[in-house]
Amino acid sequence: MAKLPTPQTLVSSRPAFPDKAWLDIKPEFAPGSYCYPAKKETMELLHMPNPHDWDPAAEDWNLPENWEKILCDAFEERLEKHRSLKLFMDICVRCGACADKCHFFLGTNDPKNMPVLRAELLRSLYRRDHAMLGKILGKKVGARSWDKDVVKELFYYAYQCTECRRCSLFCPYGIDTAEITAIVRELLHEVGLGTHWIMDPVKNCSFTGNHLGIQPHSFKEIVEMLADDCETVTGIRPKTPFNEKGHEILFITPSGDVFADPGIYTFMGYLLLFHELDLDYTFSTYASEGGNFGSFTTFNMAKKLNAKMYAEAERLGVKWILGGECGHMWRVINQYMGTYNGPAPSNMETPVSPYTGTVFKNAASTKMVHIAEFTADLIHHNKLKLDPSRNDHIITTFHDSCNPARAMGLLDEPRYVLKAVCNNFVEMPENTIREQTFCCGAGSGLNTEEIMELRMRSGMPRGNALRYVQQKYGVNHMACVCAIDRATLPPLANYWAPGVTVSGLHELVANALVMKGEAKRTMDLRQEDLPNVAEDDDDAAQAQGEGQ
Amino acid sequence: MKAIECFRNHKEEMVRLWTEAVFKTYPLETTGFLRTKKDPFGNPVADMTQEAASALYDAIIGESVDIEATRKALDRFIKLRAVQKFTPSQGLGVFSLMKPLLRKHVLPELLAPRKLSEYLEVESRLDSLTLLAFDMYVKDREIVAESRITEIRNQYAQLARWAQKLNAASPLAVDGQQT
Repeated sequence: MAKLPTPQTLVSSRPAFPDKAWLDIKPEFAPGSYCYPAKKETMELLHMPNPHDWDPAAEDWNLPENWEKILCDAFEERLEKHRSLKLFMDICVRCGACADKCHFFLGTNDPKNMPVLRAELLRSLYRRDHAMLGKILGKKVGARSWDKDVVKELFYYAYQCTECRRCSLFCPYGIDTAEITAIVRELLHEVGLGTHWIMDPVKNCSFTGNHLGIQPHSFKEIVEMLADDCETVTGIRPKTPFNEKGHEILFITPSGDVFADPGIYTFMGYLLLFHELDLDYTFSTYASEGGNFGSFTTFNMAKKLNAKMYAEAERLGVKWILGGECGHMWRVINQYMGTYNGPAPSNMETPVSPYTGTVFKNAASTKMVHIAEFTADLIHHNKLKLDPSRNDHIITTFHDSCNPARAMGLLDEPRYVLKAVCNNFVEMPENTIREQTFCCGAGSGLNTEEIMELRMRSGMPRGNALRYVQQKYGVNHMACVCAIDRATLPPLANYWAPGVTVSGLHELVANALVMKGEAKRTMDLRQEDLPNVAEDDDDAAQAQGEGQ
Repeated sequence: MKAIECFRNHKEEMVRLWTEAVFKTYPLETTGFLRTKKDPFGNPVADMTQEAASALYDAIIGESVDIEATRKALDRFIKLRAVQKFTPSQGLGVFSLMKPLLRKHVLPELLAPRKLSEYLEVESRLDSLTLLAFDMYVKDREIVAESRITEIRNQYAQLARWAQKLNAASPLAVDGQQT
């Protein structure tokens, strides 16, 4: 009869010394740590290679018969195409500077989540076929062969990297582990392995323009519903121009701001700001998505989904594009769009603010301006009337979203805006903000609910820093400039620092914005009472009644 | 010597040994990092574990009897164990790792002066704290489960609202009964 195990036996998940080398220990596909697979029909519709049904938890992933050749050929093709990839494969000296910088590593303590070792999963395969020493000495110099378990391992760890690039910041060689992850995901797509949460939005974007696949008439009606909400709060119904030709500006933002809570309040913020400025702009129902889940799939898919921005700018005849608060959208724009779909259409010009005359020279190539830059410039030139005391019940901190921070250096503009609209601002600890910001734990298409448990551990370093300022300085709010953050930070904050709310920057801007002809504000954009409004005011009481 | 003084004398050693026992539940390759890097934000797992270790020891030896303060000090650590890749027994079983350490290092010094009952009280308090941790652990798991539901709802919030609005306006909707 088996003996009852002691607590020590139950707890110890490993022997004192592992009996296998780290590279030989295979991941276990436990529920909560992997994303659901993409549907075969979705992959077929998108003409993705080798679409098939499979289950990450199953032993057999139904890979195509010649899977090894497909992967080897695809890898070789990418090594030729991307000089950076070959360089990244060759130059790493395994110094370990990146090892403890990854939020996945800090949250899981899994050695293969050290960026150096995550890259080593691919590098070991590279050595076998493409490095002289690896070809001769094989395993002795860390080379290994492809097998089906290796494919599973690549999938497991390529989807435990949010491509946030914090590790790259510390790499003395500038190796961009995010690009290695992107390539691994590309390779996996060659044998039909993708995730539902990424491929479904890609499909929807391909067919209707936005992640949820909302058709133009519905998209417009939802935006109008939000404009009605703006009227409830401010007494002013902002205009909602759609697909109108001849305006100066096309506004593109992630569709999450239109459909998802609490992103909608940021969207209402845009509407109110633009109305107050009487901005000469239009939305597009075709370019109704700033986000680009293609960038989590393949470079070609990213290019395809990105193309609609310039296509609509050309069709509508705008001079420049104003972009909303989004993360990876800005990485694609700032780093890839010029190569993908540039140069910008001939009708476009270097953006100039119509109110301040500021020329956005940084956007001379892309013709796209981030709304935080645009608003910071307005505030700097005193073009907005603001009452930050409306946000006095908030003690806010700012979460630098990985892509705007590290891929475009947008660090000070959002802070400048935030400090102008909120009187109480507190920074999180130095090694968790600005260039060193910790990811929300769910970027790059990992913001799906089935891996909530994984997200809570990968987002732990961010949650931990937030909890620190909550307990030390009474922080009760976190602002951010990314739609994925707005979706993923509320559950993260609720877990690690309950009581902290999350919003986009422009929700707070609109709360503080004093508009011409507005009714007395008694509610914020969430239609929650503003605590600092005098209660004995009759108008206020009436407006409040209407709101409810 | 009073039993409490004996326990106090052993605090540093016991906290260190228990922390190391917890670190050993992670892969060998990463325990060195956990042990050596001191930075609450650069090495949060170690920071959480050390905070919990100290609070746990103070609570079981009767030094700190404020249950709210103890709960607060254990909170981050339990949240961490609740979402890491452990079975529930592995996640919380680390509390039981304190007993063999106490029996090996502290108990022998309390046997001769006949302080066994004081020692057993400490073990009982450890059991109570494990139960307290169990409640916290389950609550944390419930938060994760609820977050999944809330997130699904939030993602489609405006779409659902719009659909309801359309439905309500439909001529087929009778007496508030939506079709």
